[in-house]
Amino acid sequence: MNTMNFSEMSDQQLDVAERKIAGKYMHQVPWGAVAWGIGNCLVFIALFPLVLMDILSLWIAFPIAVLNVTLSYLPSHEAQHNIIAGKGKPLRWLNELVGHVSTIPLVYPYRVLRATHMEHHKHCNHPVNDCDIDTHADSTPHFFWKTLLNKQPASQRNSAYSACLQRTGQGHLVLDAVLMQSAYIIIMFLLAWTGHAIEALFLWFIPKLIGETYLIYYLAWAPHHPGNEQGRYRDTRAFKSRMGNIMSMGMQYHIIHHLYPRIPLSKTPAAYREMKPILEHRGCELGTL
Amino acid sequence: MELLFKTLLSPLAWAVGFLWPLFSQSLIALEYLPSGWIAIAVGAAIAIPLGIAAQFRGSWIWIKP
Repeated sequence: MNTMNFSEMSDQQLDVAERKIAGKYMHQVPWGAVAWGIGNCLVFIALFPLVLMDILSLWIAFPIAVLNVTLSYLPSHEAQHNIIAGKGKPLRWLNELVGHVSTIPLVYPYRVLRATHMEHHKHCNHPVNDCDIDTHADSTPHFFWKTLLNKQPASQRNSAYSACLQRTGQGHLVLDAVLMQSAYIIIMFLLAWTGHAIEALFLWFIPKLIGETYLIYYLAWAPHHPGNEQGRYRDTRAFKSRMGNIMSMGMQYHIIHHLYPRIPLSKTPAAYREMKPILEHRGCELGTL
Repeated sequence: MELLFKTLLSPLAWAVGFLWPLFSQSLIALEYLPSGWIAIAVGAAIAIPLGIAAQFRGSWIWIKP
């Protein structure tokens, strides 16, 4: 097919062509993401006894912990979209296990992430209903400044997800976040008051700070920038990252994820390449990708 | 119960529970102070005012979000 064909197609015919391409990449269990989610969390947990027992240097463990926290979100993201296994499927337990376990280093509960992420998809770039709207910024330096402000105790960002859950009648899930955050705080306090505050700082607190910022930059800010349009083909963009596809966590192709959330992360580049002529015809923002 | 969680997750609790021992242990590790009550007191003297400021101002960096 070429763009000439697409220009002669009706919207309905384009829909059919688009869905046919997407269908080729869906309904595949992303075993890599399963191993990544569980393995990454186990490595992160293992760092604590290894460092506290002086088996591993804190200065070797620190970059590993940063990597672990940064890598902890995406397997859960696959689970949030039921990509590993949908409801009623034999591997559903694995989908939920990956979802719950993989974000432990990030201290975000799976059920909260899933509920709020669905609202992000439904209302992407909406000034009130998109619970990730607070991450929008005019430029990269502005993003980092805004992130610093968003981390402060009085920031509205702190209540963005709970407000979203209340609005959508899922307020009971706030308890998950409170319990998980409390567990993290208690562990940090115990480590600190038993003489391991520096270890706690470099194994969890700073990695969490770096990992969260990196994740928000590539998952929330970059693919939705400038974030002032709504609609299926305009709320997310493709972009060419100077950091490459792996370092930008596959988010160059995030437009494919928003159009077809059941396509596994590892398949979005191939789906994008095949779907690109249609997306161009639809008027999507594809940058130089 | 809500008050308990609010207290636990507050900036002042973070200052007392984490920053205080962190500052004390950092001062000792960097050999600015010897291990003992002085390091603990100096840690508290840095962490607690910081926590009080963050608690009432809503910001660790003074600038309000």
